[in-house]
Amino acid sequence: MIKDMFDKQVIELKKLWGNKRQLLFQLLNLAMIVFSALMIWKGLMFMTKSESPVVVVLSGSMEPAFQRGDILFLNNAVEEVGVGDVVVFKIKDRDIPIVHRILKVHEDENGKVELLTKGDNNRVDDRGLYAPGQLWLEREDILGKATGTLRYVGMVTIALNDYPVLKYVLVGMMGLFVLTSKEG
Amino acid sequence: MAKKNTKNVEEEAEGELEDEEDNEDEEEIELLQVDTGDMIKVKQIMDETVAAAVLEHIDEDYKLDNIKLIIMTAACAFAMVAQFAPIPFPDSRIILGACCCCYFVLSGVLQLITTFVDMDSILITRPLSKNGPNGCGPEEKKTKTSQIKNKDLFQYGVRVRSQFPRFSEWYTVILELQNKEKSPCVSQKWSVGQFFDKEGMFDEIGLQMEVDKLYHRLENGDYDKDVDAKKKD
Repeated sequence: MIKDMFDKQVIELKKLWGNKRQLLFQLLNLAMIVFSALMIWKGLMFMTKSESPVVVVLSGSMEPAFQRGDILFLNNAVEEVGVGDVVVFKIKDRDIPIVHRILKVHEDENGKVELLTKGDNNRVDDRGLYAPGQLWLEREDILGKATGTLRYVGMVTIALNDYPVLKYVLVGMMGLFVLTSKEG
Repeated sequence: MAKKNTKNVEEEAEGELEDEEDNEDEEEIELLQVDTGDMIKVKQIMDETVAAAVLEHIDEDYKLDNIKLIIMTAACAFAMVAQFAPIPFPDSRIILGACCCCYFVLSGVLQLITTFVDMDSILITRPLSKNGPNGCGPEEKKTKTSQIKNKDLFQYGVRVRSQFPRFSEWYTVILELQNKEKSPCVSQKWSVGQFFDKEGMFDEIGLQMEVDKLYHRLENGDYDKDVDAKKKD
């Protein structure tokens, strides 16, 4: 049965190749779909002023509030972050963002802010995670404050990360189906 | 969009007629087969055949199509700029915002065109030209330009519309003049059972002959009397 489907797709593709105008139309259609998703992402980046407006929780350090595999929506357009806020931050020169809660906030007379964070499920604060010699975080290190969450939806991302082959398989199949379906 | 596969099908059919010696059922085995439950595919195949049949007599008008292609390309260009601009994030925020806006505006315009300008039309053609060859079919099948009674065809293009409501067996094809206010039209309704059998084999030649008849009615100016009944669904 799968071979039949595959054959049908191949026939459709061959038909498409013969008619260049139709092929161009379908390719642009596919591009528009991909770009729509991209543009929504960029739009979110614009509105939340954050590099990464949606992140997936990778570790269990914030249980029971957030589990591994949850999706978090971030907002970096807030001016100040206070004690008790759940924030996502990146330590300088490291790639992986971390989701923890703010424990202490110090502000001096110039307005410069220093922050200390700790994971709800950790025994100690994050000083062990910071760069050697670093005792406090600054506002620039914060990617955003968590303003919304979706349980377990992020498991898909974790699976795609652990098995990169899945990414190509998924995108390939979606591309094939969009190219050969003619709703445009 | 129209597909120019009429020639291939005709060659295929003629080849089969020469090959087969016994019954005419041999011909069906080579024809297209569709899952008759798949309404979208059925409509799509019939639309393609109708468009190919009409294109034998006139040329397609690519104006609207080109406009859509240009809009899509522009939208993709904005998206590429937003993605690949070399400025790092916090500073590029303004450009991102502008690109996003433009992209969504263009996307909206495209959607409006598809919904309100295209509606149910499957093919738009240019007006006939008095001298040059019109359409891509064989010359002997076309009416000579001097003998076409309906002079409007030289001034206006033809819009081919098709209606095939969900779960209905009636497929309607309407030919009317493009760009003319309250244009009179020629239309015909068929049951899909006339062109598809139980297994989903499609009688392409049959539909092409029916569309040819409909087109000749248009050439003679033999419009339908009751125009109100052909309102768009």
